[in-house]
Order: sequence, then structure tokens, then C-alpha cells
Amino acid sequence: MADDVKVAEKTEKLESLRKIDDNLRLPSVPERIAFPKEIGVSAARMQTPAVGQRATRPDGRMHGLGQTKYIDDMFFPGMIHAKIKRAGIAHAKIKSIDVSEAEKMPGVMATLIGSEIPVNSFGPSLQDQPLLADDVVRHAGDGVAAVAAVTEQQALDALDKIKIEYEELPNVFDPVEAMKENAYKIHNNESNIYATKTIMKGDIEKGFADSDFIFERTFTTQMVEHVPMEPHASIGQWDANGRVTLHSSLGRITLGRADIARTLELPINRVRVIATVVGGNFGGKNEITTEPIIALLSKKTGRPVKCVFTREDEFISSTTRHPFVMEYKTGMSKEGKIMARKVRLICDGGAYCSWSETTLGKACILSAGPYNIENLHVDAYAVYTTKTMTGAMRGFGAPQVCFAYESHMDDMAAELGIEPLEIRLQNAFNEGSASPTGQVLEAVVVRDSLEMATERFGWKEWQR
Amino acid sequence: MIRRGKGVGCMWYPIGFTVAANPSAATVKVNEDGTATLLTGTVETGQGSLTVLAQIAAEELGVSTDDIHVVSADTDTTPMDTGAIASRTTYVTGNAIKLAAENAKKILFEVAAPLLDVQPNQLEAVDRKIQVQYFPQRCLPIADVALQAQFVMGRPPIGSASYNPPTVGMDPETGQGKPFSTYVYATQCAEVEVDDETGEVDVIYMSAAHDCGTAINPMLVEGQIEGGISMGIGFALQEEMLFDDKGRQLNPNLTNYIMPTSLDMPEIDVDIVENFDPTGPFGAKGVGEPTAVPTAAAICNAIFDAVGVRITSLPATAEKVLRAIKEKNNSEQKFIPAAE
Repeated sequence: MADDVKVAEKTEKLESLRKIDDNLRLPSVPERIAFPKEIGVSAARMQTPAVGQRATRPDGRMHGLGQTKYIDDMFFPGMIHAKIKRAGIAHAKIKSIDVSEAEKMPGVMATLIGSEIPVNSFGPSLQDQPLLADDVVRHAGDGVAAVAAVTEQQALDALDKIKIEYEELPNVFDPVEAMKENAYKIHNNESNIYATKTIMKGDIEKGFADSDFIFERTFTTQMVEHVPMEPHASIGQWDANGRVTLHSSLGRITLGRADIARTLELPINRVRVIATVVGGNFGGKNEITTEPIIALLSKKTGRPVKCVFTREDEFISSTTRHPFVMEYKTGMSKEGKIMARKVRLICDGGAYCSWSETTLGKACILSAGPYNIENLHVDAYAVYTTKTMTGAMRGFGAPQVCFAYESHMDDMAAELGIEPLEIRLQNAFNEGSASPTGQVLEAVVVRDSLEMATERFGWKEWQR
Repeated sequence: MIRRGKGVGCMWYPIGFTVAANPSAATVKVNEDGTATLLTGTVETGQGSLTVLAQIAAEELGVSTDDIHVVSADTDTTPMDTGAIASRTTYVTGNAIKLAAENAKKILFEVAAPLLDVQPNQLEAVDRKIQVQYFPQRCLPIADVALQAQFVMGRPPIGSASYNPPTVGMDPETGQGKPFSTYVYATQCAEVEVDDETGEVDVIYMSAAHDCGTAINPMLVEGQIEGGISMGIGFALQEEMLFDDKGRQLNPNLTNYIMPTSLDMPEIDVDIVENFDPTGPFGAKGVGEPTAVPTAAAICNAIFDAVGVRITSLPATAEKVLRAIKEKNNSEQKFIPAAE
């Protein structure tokens, strides 16, 4: 009996030691997973014609068996890990960055700061975003320095040793305040408004004059994250020929490659981007993030370098959905026809432009809703603030304006005593309707979708 | 007391970029056994786009989905693609793939025509066969034709093509123009339960009817719609990034940033609105982003129907809904002066 206890104690001790060992050990050969050798293929995948079939996805089997290799699962011999130091301060001038202490930390192989990047700016429409802030920090999640070390933990420890002196600058958090002339100019431009869009159709004054009722309401939406299951991740390998290969969770590789080549001042054919499986994008992975940084760290160390965002990195440093302030004014006839609509959209662009211009354009065009409105005036502004930057996200401004125009629609329906479904059917686009930009619309099925969804819902029979 | 309400949200959404060119290119290589390899620069981000693209190539070549292997997202090996953005993959990349497959098919037809004693333009590719139109008995297996093309005629059946949706620039002052090639339309209806004592909102049922042109793969369309609704519910009721007065985020983690889980999901009924877009591959448009668009509107309208308060600022958290209910009750309360 006594012996048994000893054995148990021993095993426990060994197990605890093994755990420490496990944590230190670099990823080696993954566990063998048994999977069926004979692969059954679903009938839908085998059938012709192929269009319209409920064909299963070939990657589904791989995901299900854990065989899909996401970037975090990839390992290359000699690979080291990079981490990025975040500013933690929303708006400040960088007076100095000292990485010397960090470089002395165990396991640290290289550091990188913004001034070492050949072209330290990127962005899909305005190149206003630094890869690592070297002059001014414009939101708390801005990267200021990067460290590559043998293990992730060593890289994290070294981040704490980086010394940065800041000189605080005034914060501008509210987009409406940021638009004012006396607001602090975040990018030293004439104004914090960096994109405007206008749509004018018909005669708005006459439309309001002809209306029986005028309704006004301001709507606002919040900032949200994409939260893809796989955070941003990449592995960079700079080879002896000066060619860089990047495994990256990028959603648009061709244009991403051009951005990477531009920031590294490399010919495009010396950059290879591979993004074979991406664990969710939703717009958040539409542009480069750390790829040039890890490419340069790989160049410095001659090692493959991996950088995987933590969930916190994902929240504070990647793009998010634009908060909107939406002022709606609509003139209605007493029968429930929309006579005129005036919309003013203010889009909180955060610290950098990113995809704000595209978002603003789509929001502007869509803000009238799928309704026939002869007299329309939309003004839209994208504004810099010292908050996490906003960018592409599933819907590009459409969920925000849809919330506004549909809420507004029900408000008006209630006031006029018209059924919500009726008022929509009355105003919805027809085949050949002109869009707010004067485009003649074809294959229009707004009514069909309204009828189908409400019929399935049991709209007319529904009881409280 | 639990109060129930219904709400509707309707939307329209464009497919592709605003005005700017957004081309895609593709290459289709037919192998000697009649299967094919498709090269595309688009990225599979979990939505199933590669399966849809394989179906488009398969349809054009008259083979099955399983006969197509897709190689994607490597800038060294795959052709230019604007990327998995703006709900454009099925429409733009799909069109490029259809054209590429058509080019590969043209070679197969030219090889098969003399063997079948007809002109190439009299042929069609159906059920893994190259056959004479209206004479399905006169046919050759696609594998035989591909083999003949490669090893006898020395013409490997490989096709490449690109596509860019035609747009017209917008006038900077009036915004008039043709910014997008095509649009989709959709409606979602929500049934909610609102607890008027706590402000808590529970979405219990949603119906959705989405137009995506031809549904190349109805199962994947349904998947997109259900996923979009889950994102829309988060946007409507829960998710919000909060900042302190220094501009630092307060909830950059999934403990305090509350996303809907499978337990928060309502019953969902999905309908696909039948439509055909002549400019899309086999009439298809796209479905990715629109699915997340009308959900918040439908839910907020259902809250309005249930408790009569209009939420003007998202997310409609329990606190906000309760505050609005209290404000409404206070304003409705009649002040009865005390008897003198």
C-alpha cells in the first residue's frame, strides 16, 4: 500500500515536470490522427450539371479531422517568433525609442522600429498609416516596435524593456467634434474630414414642400470587431536571393503583395504571398498588417519569423466597423409615399483612412434604402479620430444605414397608421427603377423578398 | 412582463467595388482524364467560395464538382484576383472562371469536331461528354477528347481569362453614375421577446429571404445567411467596443466583448428568392455581406413593436431598452394633483 502511494507521488511529480517540458518544447511532429482511408464523396459533388447542387466542401473534411493547417499550425526549421509593442496611449508624439535593453534580453534575435522600414506607410486609398509608428502615435493600438525572439514568451518579455518617451497630444474621440474647424488636426491636414461623398437627385426643396409630413431622427451605431476565429497571422521567410515568402491570413493577396513590395521597396516578383486557408475574414483581413515587419525581421535574422496576433492585438490594432452618426429627414405624403429625403452621414474613421472612403461611398449610395425616392440629397463625411482605426467590414457601411432607414421607415409608418409591410411595398424599387445615382436597376426583386420573408414568418397571421 | 413583437428589415446591396476596377483572372486546365484543375487568386476565408467556383468551372465544362480541383491564393502560381472582398467572389471571380473554362472547352470542341464530323460550334459539353447539340447519341467522353487533345493533337486544353464588371464613374458633385454592375435585395423578419422589467431582448425567430441571382450552391447560401444573421444579432444587441477617457479599449477580449454564441441563435428559416442576373456566371450574383445587413433593423423594429420604444443607438442592450421603456412610461404617466 505504502509503495503504491510512493508510485502515485512519483508519477504526479513526473507529470508536473513533463508539463514544464511540454511548454518549453518547440512544436514537433503533430499527433497522428486516424482518418478514413476510403473517402466517400457526397452524391451532390458527383452530379452534373454542377450548378444548383448542394455540393459539400472538400475543406470540411480537413477541418473536421483537424488536418487543416492554419498559420499557427505551421512550423519551419529555425523559426522564431515576433511580437509587437503597442503604444497604449491614444495620441502622442514619439520623442525617442530605445530598444537596446530589449536586445540584450535572452532569446532576442532582432528588433525593428518604424524608421527602419523603407516605406513606412500603407493604405488602400490614402497611404496614411505607418506599419510601426515612428513619429506620431494616433491610437492606443498603434505598433511602435517589434521584437523577434526564440520563443513567444521571450519576445513578450523583451517588449517590456523597450523604452519610449512620449509627448502627449490632444485627443479627439468624437467624430462630430473632430469635424469642427478648431479641432486638433490629427494628420496635420486642413481638416480632420478626409473623405466626402455627395448624392443629389431631383429637387429636394420642392420635395419637402410637396410633403404632408416631415420626419426627422438621428441614429448612431457603435464600433464592433470582426472577431474571426483565426486572428491575423503570418510567417515571413527572407531567402538568400533576397526574395521573401509570406504565409499570411490575407484576404486579398494580389493587392496585398503590391503593398508589401511597396513598403519593402522590392520588385513585386520578389514577394510571394500564400494564403491557402484563412479562418474567417469578414473584411478585417483585407489589408496588410505585420507582413512587412516580419519580412524585415526575417531579413535581419536569416530565420523564418512567425507573428500571430493575440485576441487583444486583434481588438486594439486591427480594423473595426465604423461607428456612424446618421441624420435622417424624410418628407412623406399622407398616403405614405416618400416625397423627399435628406441624409447626413458622419463616419468615425478612427486614426487612419483604411477602407473608409469605400465604406462611405457604399453607405452614401445605399442610405436611401431600396425605395423610390425622386428627391434625394445625401452628404457623407469620413472623419479622423484618435481611436482604433475603422475599415472594411461585412457590409461596408450598409448595416449602419439599413438600421437607420428601416427604423425611420417604421417610425413613419406608425405615425401615419400604415402597416410596416404595406409602406415598404408601396415605396420599394420596381423593375427599371432609377437608383439614387441614376442607374436603371434590372432584375429587381425587393417586393418578392418582402413577400417571401413575411409569408414565411406568418406576418399577417402573427399574433402577440 | 414578457412582451412579443415582430419587425421587418429590407435592404439592397451592390456586388463588387464602388466604381474602381476590380478585375479577376483565372486559369482552367483540363487533365487527360477529363478532370480539371482551376487556378484562382481568390482566398477561401471559410465561406465555401472555392466550392462555388469549382461548381462554376464544372458547369461550363459539363463535368461534376468533384472533377475540379481548385488551387488558390498563392501569388506565385495563381492569377491576379482583387480578393475575397465586397461580396465579389462568386460574381467577378466566377465570371472569370466561366470565361476561362469556356476557353479550355473551345480547344476540346475543336479537337472533338472532326472526330464527330461536325463544326465546333455545333458541340456542347454535358454529363462528362462532348456531344452534338440535339444529337446526344453522337458523343465522345470528355476524357477521350482531352487525351486526344493533349497527346495526339498536341493541344493541351488550357484556358485563361479575366473579368472586370463594367461601371461608370460617379459625378463628384451629384453622385450620378453607375457605380456597380449589379445589386442584390433581401428582407429579414424578426420575432423578439422583450422583458419590460429588465429590458432584456431575446430574438426567438427570424425568417430571411435573400436574392443572390442563381444559387450556385443553395447549402452554402443558407450557411452564409445563418452566419450573417448571427453577426447581425451581435451588432443589434450585444457587441460594442468600449473606450476609457484616454482612448484605450476597455474590453479587448471575448470575456467582456460579448458575441452571440450558438445558444443565442434563434430559429431561422431561410428562403432564396429566385432570380437570374444575365451578367453573372449562370445568373449568379453574391450573398456574403448582405446577410448581415438587415438583421439589426428587423430586430430594432420588433423591439418597437413589442414595447413601443425606438432604439436610435446601437447596440440595443438591456440597459438602453430599459431606460427607453422607463422614459416612455414616465412621459405617459399622468400627473394627478393631490386633493386640496
